[in-house]
Amino acid sequence: MTTDQFSDSLLLDSLGVLLADYNPGKNFDETFLPDGSVRALYQRIVECFTALDVSEINRLERLVDEEFRRQGITFNVYDDEEGTERVWLMDLFPRLISAVEWGKLEKGLSQRIKALNYFLADIYSGDSNVIGDGVVPRWMITSSEGFQRSASGISPTHGAHCNIAGIDLVRDRDGKYRILEDNLRNPSGISYVVENRAAMAKAFPRLFNHYTVKPVEQFGKMMRNMLESMTPAGVDSPHIVVLTPGIFNSAYAEHVFLARLMGVELVEGRDLMVDDHTVHARTIEGLVPVDVIYRRVDDDYLDPVAFRPDSVLGVPGLLGAVRAGTVTICNSIGNGVADDKAVYTYVPDLIEYYLGEKPIIDNVKTYRMYEPDHYEEAIERLDGLVVKPVAESGGYGVLIGPHATEQQLKKARAAIEAEPRNWIVQDLVELSSLPTLTGERLESRHIDLRPFVLTGERTEVFPGGLTRVALRKGSLIVNSSQGGGSKDTWVLASETPEKVQHKTR
Amino acid sequence: MRLDIRYKMHFRYGQAVQESHNEIRMKPRENRFQKVIYYRLRSNPPVRLLQAVDYWGTSVDHLGIRSSHTELELLAESAVETSPRPTPKSTIRVEDLSEPDFYSDYYEFLIPSAHVQWSPDDVFVKQASEVARDSNSLLEMVVAVINEARNALVYVPDSTEIGISLTELFAGGSGVCQDFAHLAIGMLRSVGVPACYVSGYLFAADETQPIGSLLTDVSAIGSTDVSGSVAEAGELGYTTFGGLGGELDEVHVQTHAWIMAALPGHGWWALDPTNGSLVGERHVIVGYGRDYGDVPPVRGVYKGPTWSDSDVDSVVIIGRQDTSTEGWDHSVQNAPPHIVVQSGYNPI
Repeated sequence: MTTDQFSDSLLLDSLGVLLADYNPGKNFDETFLPDGSVRALYQRIVECFTALDVSEINRLERLVDEEFRRQGITFNVYDDEEGTERVWLMDLFPRLISAVEWGKLEKGLSQRIKALNYFLADIYSGDSNVIGDGVVPRWMITSSEGFQRSASGISPTHGAHCNIAGIDLVRDRDGKYRILEDNLRNPSGISYVVENRAAMAKAFPRLFNHYTVKPVEQFGKMMRNMLESMTPAGVDSPHIVVLTPGIFNSAYAEHVFLARLMGVELVEGRDLMVDDHTVHARTIEGLVPVDVIYRRVDDDYLDPVAFRPDSVLGVPGLLGAVRAGTVTICNSIGNGVADDKAVYTYVPDLIEYYLGEKPIIDNVKTYRMYEPDHYEEAIERLDGLVVKPVAESGGYGVLIGPHATEQQLKKARAAIEAEPRNWIVQDLVELSSLPTLTGERLESRHIDLRPFVLTGERTEVFPGGLTRVALRKGSLIVNSSQGGGSKDTWVLASETPEKVQHKTR
Repeated sequence: MRLDIRYKMHFRYGQAVQESHNEIRMKPRENRFQKVIYYRLRSNPPVRLLQAVDYWGTSVDHLGIRSSHTELELLAESAVETSPRPTPKSTIRVEDLSEPDFYSDYYEFLIPSAHVQWSPDDVFVKQASEVARDSNSLLEMVVAVINEARNALVYVPDSTEIGISLTELFAGGSGVCQDFAHLAIGMLRSVGVPACYVSGYLFAADETQPIGSLLTDVSAIGSTDVSGSVAEAGELGYTTFGGLGGELDEVHVQTHAWIMAALPGHGWWALDPTNGSLVGERHVIVGYGRDYGDVPPVRGVYKGPTWSDSDVDSVVIIGRQDTSTEGWDHSVQNAPPHIVVQSGYNPI
């Protein structure tokens, strides 16, 4: 059980129609204790929802949906025959994180990202002390799909390779936060944090009355400051651009949003060109040098000279410009080596090695399938564990043992045996749950949390994050590409709400 | 041995092209057996080059030409001093290959790579496994596998193109130096010996003729006291081949490719599958990697019509002494100085 100032709980006289039959399940429920009493942190929220009737809540839901529709806030799903674009889904019941809890998460996330940035700098500087000192075996690096040999020798400003990271956190049965995975390449979702808040504040302002919630509107400024701090030496007022693969990318709406929020141009590869190892933007005023590129184009498509020669999304000669030190690419190239799920198992060791500290937030217990003792421990119990490919993101290719058929498990075993390096097996974390609207009621649904960590001159955790929710009952897959929704996530600024009184039902 | 190399490439495009961006790998590598005395790359149109060092330690010149052009000339001139290499000890055991640190360190040279793919069903994989099984030591095994690769192909100039799979290559039965190297690498990796691809220049009139000792007498290679005689054999070979009569001072060649096999406790051992010999003072290494894809002399893109009505001439001249520049068209002039990036870091 976590300890914070809201660990008190209370039983309400009546939970109203929406929550009358709420069953928190056997997992950790963020709002209710197993005996049905409400955690103090959520008391005011629950009271608010208790007072609502179905028609009122449905009206608010429509309001939010219309707002997202009107603003074109959507997400794309690949491989979907019904069309790829869907309206963003936000559930009205918010996710709350107390100030104390957040303080601890902030420290833990900063610690992790600092260590991962040291790791990336070490690996790509060519020193690779982490290998020489026996912390990570060389083959772990050279066998990683995300390891970009072309990035060797690139040393970005401040040694910051991962400028924006999205870390997926879950809470286990005891309510303990654990790191599920790191997203250090091109994590998406930050725009939804800001958009969720805006929609929530518009649709349901009275919900905020009893809480002091840390604002999220300043994200654009924070991000812009971070990117400015990444300017190559000798440049005064940097020209920053956002580089997008274009409208067919699943996160294009986010690229547009971020560029607008930061007040910088959104460009595609063809809008940029390299001359004399310097990147220029083609503008109506002619060529203008570019100093910092926040890119949302994947490594392999960035520069056809160094990577895939058939790529038309990138900028020929870009890597040469990076080497010449005339431009900074954020995130840097080759971060995939550090969010490789097999390398993930070494992150606690990396924290100790680079920082001399114990990890503040633990990993989920993970088995390295290429290590005989790990393999022995896990291979016959896959039906109770989770199997994940090491290089995928977005929940693709994940097999949840208890929900898998015998045929699927057999296939997974064969795949692991063929390429043990390509798979990890994790303990099944049940994921905490939160009341979520399902038409006429609030039911328990599983959630995770993706906070974002910015690193330029220093490392900062953005207050809040994206809470993703599995909309199907019992499902543990929260990815929006797999039918997940989201929740506005409130990081509380102080000792709110006011001291609550205990009541009994 | 002092060797001077002039490597000239001349691209002629069917129509004007622009925004040409290229990585050039032509500079000889500095190592224990090869000292680089001189290197200079010039281009026409002239541009400011950026020199960096890649992951493999190969020197790379980044060259970008924005303006419209119909031809691109590259002239890389270098001079090196090469020295003989020690031969590995014959006592290295095959079992040492599975030592965890060795396996981990050379992992990327043990697995398939873009140009070196194989499956257990490939005939050449079965052949490699057979000769490996019959070997009594690691050196013997490496030599036997390389000879097997060499015997599987006939050297036929221009018989293949980059991108051919090992399966197709083996079925076709002919190839050039890259192919001999790729097949040998694939066969070595398939039996658990880490192997890499080496790109460079060979001072020889004919790249298929043996230079130095032939890879036949394994006991001689493996004994520790023959390192001197290997170099000597190289010297002996020098005056006799080529059919040009007398001593060679300068030869027109093509870029050459060979391989290195990693041996526990020794490191890389360089061998030349095309002519079935050890690598000696006449081999000038530019760089190495998993296969050709990691060390192409030129890799790049340009904006303009497709390659179909364009062509490229490539000439490498290697001289044994200092050579004059007579006979070369020195239209490449007034090139701006390089930006030199030390070990890939920020410019000085």
